[in-house]
Amino acid sequence: MIFTFMNSRKFNTKLGNVTRDPVSVAMLILLVVLAYLVIWPFFQLVINTLTWSEGSRRISREAVPGEFTWFYWLQVTAGPISGKMLYGPLMNTLITGIISTVLALIAGGTLAWCVVRSNMPGKRWLQPILTLPYILPSFAIALAWETVFRSPKVGGQPGLYEAILGIAPPEWLSYGVIPISITLAIHYFPFAYLLVAGALATIDSQMEESALISGAGKLTILRRITFPVVAPAFVAALILTFGKTIGQFALPFLLGAPTQFHTVATMIYANLALGLDSMAYVLAVILIAMSLLSIWLSNRFIKKKSARFETISGKGFRSREIDLGDWRWFVFGVVSLFGFTVGILPLILLGIQSVMLIDGFYGFENLTSHFWIGKSNLDIAGGEPGVIHNKIILGATWNTLKLAFLSAVIAAVIGIVIAYIAVRRSNNPLAILLDQIAFVPFLFPTIAFGAMYLTLFAVPVGPIPALYGTFTLLVLISVVSRLPYSVKTGITAVTQIGQELEEAAEVAGASWWQRFRRIIMPLASSGIMSGMMVSFVGVMRELSLIILLITPATRVLMTAGFGYAEEGFTQLTNALVLIVALLTIIGELILWKIGKGRMARLREKQS
Amino acid sequence: MEDWQRAHGALTRKAILKGTIMAKISIHNLTKRYGNMTALKNVSLEIDNGEFLVLLGPSGCGKTTLLRCLAGLETPDEGEIIIGNEVIFSSEQKIMQPPGKRNLGMVFQSYALWPHMTVRENVKFGLDVLKTPKETSDRQLDEVLKKLSMDSLSERYPSELSGGQQQRVALARLLATKPPVFLMDEPLSNLDARLRMDMRVELKRFQSDAGATTVYVTHDQTEAMTMSTRVVVMKNGEIQQVSPPSELYKKPNNTFVADFIGMPRINLVELHGSGQIFSNGDITVDFGWEPGVKSVVLGARPEDLTISPNLKSIGETYTVTAVLPNGPEIIVQLQKGKTVIIGRVGHDSIFENNQEVKVTYAQASLNVYDASTRELISPIKNN
Repeated sequence: MIFTFMNSRKFNTKLGNVTRDPVSVAMLILLVVLAYLVIWPFFQLVINTLTWSEGSRRISREAVPGEFTWFYWLQVTAGPISGKMLYGPLMNTLITGIISTVLALIAGGTLAWCVVRSNMPGKRWLQPILTLPYILPSFAIALAWETVFRSPKVGGQPGLYEAILGIAPPEWLSYGVIPISITLAIHYFPFAYLLVAGALATIDSQMEESALISGAGKLTILRRITFPVVAPAFVAALILTFGKTIGQFALPFLLGAPTQFHTVATMIYANLALGLDSMAYVLAVILIAMSLLSIWLSNRFIKKKSARFETISGKGFRSREIDLGDWRWFVFGVVSLFGFTVGILPLILLGIQSVMLIDGFYGFENLTSHFWIGKSNLDIAGGEPGVIHNKIILGATWNTLKLAFLSAVIAAVIGIVIAYIAVRRSNNPLAILLDQIAFVPFLFPTIAFGAMYLTLFAVPVGPIPALYGTFTLLVLISVVSRLPYSVKTGITAVTQIGQELEEAAEVAGASWWQRFRRIIMPLASSGIMSGMMVSFVGVMRELSLIILLITPATRVLMTAGFGYAEEGFTQLTNALVLIVALLTIIGELILWKIGKGRMARLREKQS
Repeated sequence: MEDWQRAHGALTRKAILKGTIMAKISIHNLTKRYGNMTALKNVSLEIDNGEFLVLLGPSGCGKTTLLRCLAGLETPDEGEIIIGNEVIFSSEQKIMQPPGKRNLGMVFQSYALWPHMTVRENVKFGLDVLKTPKETSDRQLDEVLKKLSMDSLSERYPSELSGGQQQRVALARLLATKPPVFLMDEPLSNLDARLRMDMRVELKRFQSDAGATTVYVTHDQTEAMTMSTRVVVMKNGEIQQVSPPSELYKKPNNTFVADFIGMPRINLVELHGSGQIFSNGDITVDFGWEPGVKSVVLGARPEDLTISPNLKSIGETYTVTAVLPNGPEIIVQLQKGKTVIIGRVGHDSIFENNQEVKVTYAQASLNVYDASTRELISPIKNN
C-alpha cells in the first residue's frame, strides 16, 4: 500500500502533478519570464504611444499625464511636422533599403554562384574574406567610407579622396542615399551570399545534366533550370535583407545625420535625444510593423514556393562544378579584388587613420602613436588620452568583454533548455509556444527593441526594480536578443541526440538530472560551445540594441566609439572599432576551429 | 524514501535471481490513444516466467507501443500491468512506476549507445545508476564483456565498432544489471542478413542462460518463428492470436494471421455452397463436415498442394502460369478458370508454362474461415 501511495505522484505527468517534473517546471517559469521580457515590452511600447507622458504639458495644453490620447500618432502621421518626422525618413528608409538590398543580392548571388557552382580557384581563401563585412560592425564600414569621402563642407578635415584628387568629393558621394545604400550593401551582401549559397548547394546537378543531355546550352541551363530553382530562396533573401537594412541605425546615422538625412531608425534616436520620447516610440512601432511585414512576406513566399520546388535529395545526389575554362583566373581576380576592397581595405583605412595626428593630412611626418599609447594632451582630441591610458576605453573594454561573456553563457544555457523542451515535448502546445516566444526578438529591429526596454525598465514595476542605467539591463537585453539564435543552435544540437539515447538511460534508472548531465550536456556541448561563441561575437559588435540604454558607467567599446564619433574624435573611434573588429575576427577564428573539430568528429562517426 | 525504494528494487532483483520471485508479466485491458488514433485497444496478455514472447505484426500495429508501455516510456490511458508481484501501472489505482524502477532492461532498435562513452562506460552506466559497489561493478563488467567477447574492445567508442559489435554492446548493457525482464525492440533489424542469423542463435542462448522473461518486437516472421516460445500477432492495436509458432502456422485464427504468416503467402479462396460441398465455379471442395455458413474462405498453404504432371492421376486440372525457382524449392503459379493459386514443390521438380497438371491437397491441413467474420471455423466431424 505504501508503495502505491509513493508512486502516485508520477502518474500522468502530462495532466496532473507537474510540480515534481523538472522539465514542466522549467517550461512554466520560462514561459512567464519570456512573456514579460519579450511580449509585454511591445505592449508597453504601444501603450506609451497612446498615453500622455509626464512632460507633455510642454507640447500641448490639453495634456493630462497618464490619460489616453491619439495625440502622438496624429502628430507623427498627420501633424505639421509629419513630413520631417515620418514621411521623409520613411522614404529615405525605403529608398536606401531597396537600393542596398538589390545591390547586396546581385553581389551576393553572383559570388554564391562562383563559389558554390563554378570551378573558380582559391575558394577556400575567398570564402572567409567574403563574409568579413558582415562579421565586422556595420559601423566600421561607414567609418571607412567617411575616411575616404569626408567632405569639408560639413566641417572637419578632408578625406582621402580630396587628399589624392585635390578636389572635394560631391556631397551626394559623402552623405545621404548613395553612401548609405552602398555601405549597407557591403555590410549585408554576405548575408544574401550565405542564403543563396545554401540554396545553390541543394541543387542536384543531375537536374542540370539532364538538361545538358537534352541539348541545352550553359546559359539556357542557368536561365531555365538553375534560376527558377533558386528563385524562392532568392526572393526570401531579398525580403529578409531588406528587413535587416531598415533596422540599421549606426551606419545611416554616421553617413546621414551630418546633412540632416534621416531614416526611421535614426529618427528614433534623434527624437529621444531631443526628449520627444513618445514620438520616438511611435516611430519604433512603425519600424517594428515594417519589419514584421517583410518577415511575414518572406515566410509566405518560402512556404508557397518551396513546397512546389522541393528538390528530393538523398540517393544519387551530387553537385558538379561548372567549368569556367580560361575565364576562371579572370573571375578569381575580380572576386579577390572585390573581397579585398570590401573586407580588408576598410580595416586598413581605419588602421591608418588611427595613427594620423591630424586627420586628413596624409604624410609620414603626420604619423603618431598617440591615439594608441599617448598620455593626455590638451592639444589633441580634447585631452583624451590614447587607448592604453584611457580610463573610458579601458573601462569600456572590460565592460564589453564582461557583457559579451555573461550574455553568451546565459543565452546558451537558456537556449539549450528551451531547445530541449521544444524538441522533447513537441506534443505539448505550451512547449511550442515557448519556442515561438523565444523567436520573437528576431522580429524586432534592434533599436526598437532597445526603445521597448527603455519604456519597460524606466520605473520600478512591482518587485522588478528600475533597471535603467544598470549593467544588468544590458545583460538582460543582450541575452533576450540572442535567444532566437541560441535556441536555434540548441535545437540542432538536441535533435541530433536521438530520443532512444535518453530512453536507454531512463530504463537504466537514471533520473532526469542524471540524464541531462551525463547524456544531453556532453553530447550537445560542442554545439552549445559554438552557439556561445556566436553570441559572444554578436554581443560584442552590437550597438543599436544598447545605444539607448547606455549610461557613462556602463559604456562598452561600440558605444564609446560612437560617442567619440559624435564628438569628432575620429582617430579614437577608429581605434576602438578596430579593436572590436579584431576581437570579432579572433572570435570567428575560434568558432571556425571549433566547427572544424566538430565536422571532423562527425565524419568519424559516420564512417 | 528514494533509498528505501532502491533497496526494495535490489531486494526484488536478488529474490528473482534466486528464483523465489517469478518475473511473470500480466497485462490487463491496456488501452493507449494518441489523439483520435487508438494504438492499443483493450489488450490483455499473460507472459510466463522465462518465456520468449514475440510481438509480431505489420508496422503501425501497436507492437512497439505495447513494448514501450511495458518499459514505462509511454503512459497507457487505461488498464493495468503487473510484473512479478508488483503493480507497475494501473490507471485505476493511479500507479505509474518510472522505467528505472521496473527491474527491466531494454535493447533499442538503434541500439541507443551513448556515443560519448566507451564500450565499458556504456555498460557501466546502468550499474552506476544502481549505485553498485565498485568491486561488484568491475567484476560484473568484466564478466559480461568477456561473455560477449567484447573485452578487447572495451575502450573503443561506439563509432569505432561495426554494426554487429554495436549490437553486442547493447546486449552487454542489458545483461550487466541482470534484470529479470528483457525488452527488445527489433534489435536485429539493422544487421545484414548473414549476421542476423548468427545473432539470433546467440541472443536466444543469452536469454535462456539468464532465464529472463523476454518480450521481443519484430516484423520479421522468420525471427518470430525461430526464436519464440509464443508469438503474439497484432493488427490495428488488437491481438489477433497468441500461439506457439507451429500452431500459428498450422492453425491461424483468422484470415489476417493466415495471410500474414508464411512466405509465399497462403492460398485463400472464397467458396459458396451449403452442407459439406462448396464451390466457386472453378473448383469444388467436399469438406466432409458442415461449416454451417453459406460462404467460406478456404486456406491452403502452398506446400500442402500436391502437383502431378501425370494427367491420369486423380485431382483437378490446372494450367501452370509461372515457374519461379527459389533455391531448395520451386514456386509454381497455377490457374483454373479465374482461380489462381500458388504451389510449392521441391527443387528437382520440372514444370513448364502452360503445362496442364493435376492438383490434390491434404484434406487435414485445410483451414476453413467464415467469409463474413474471417474467423476460423473448427471442423466438427459429424459421424
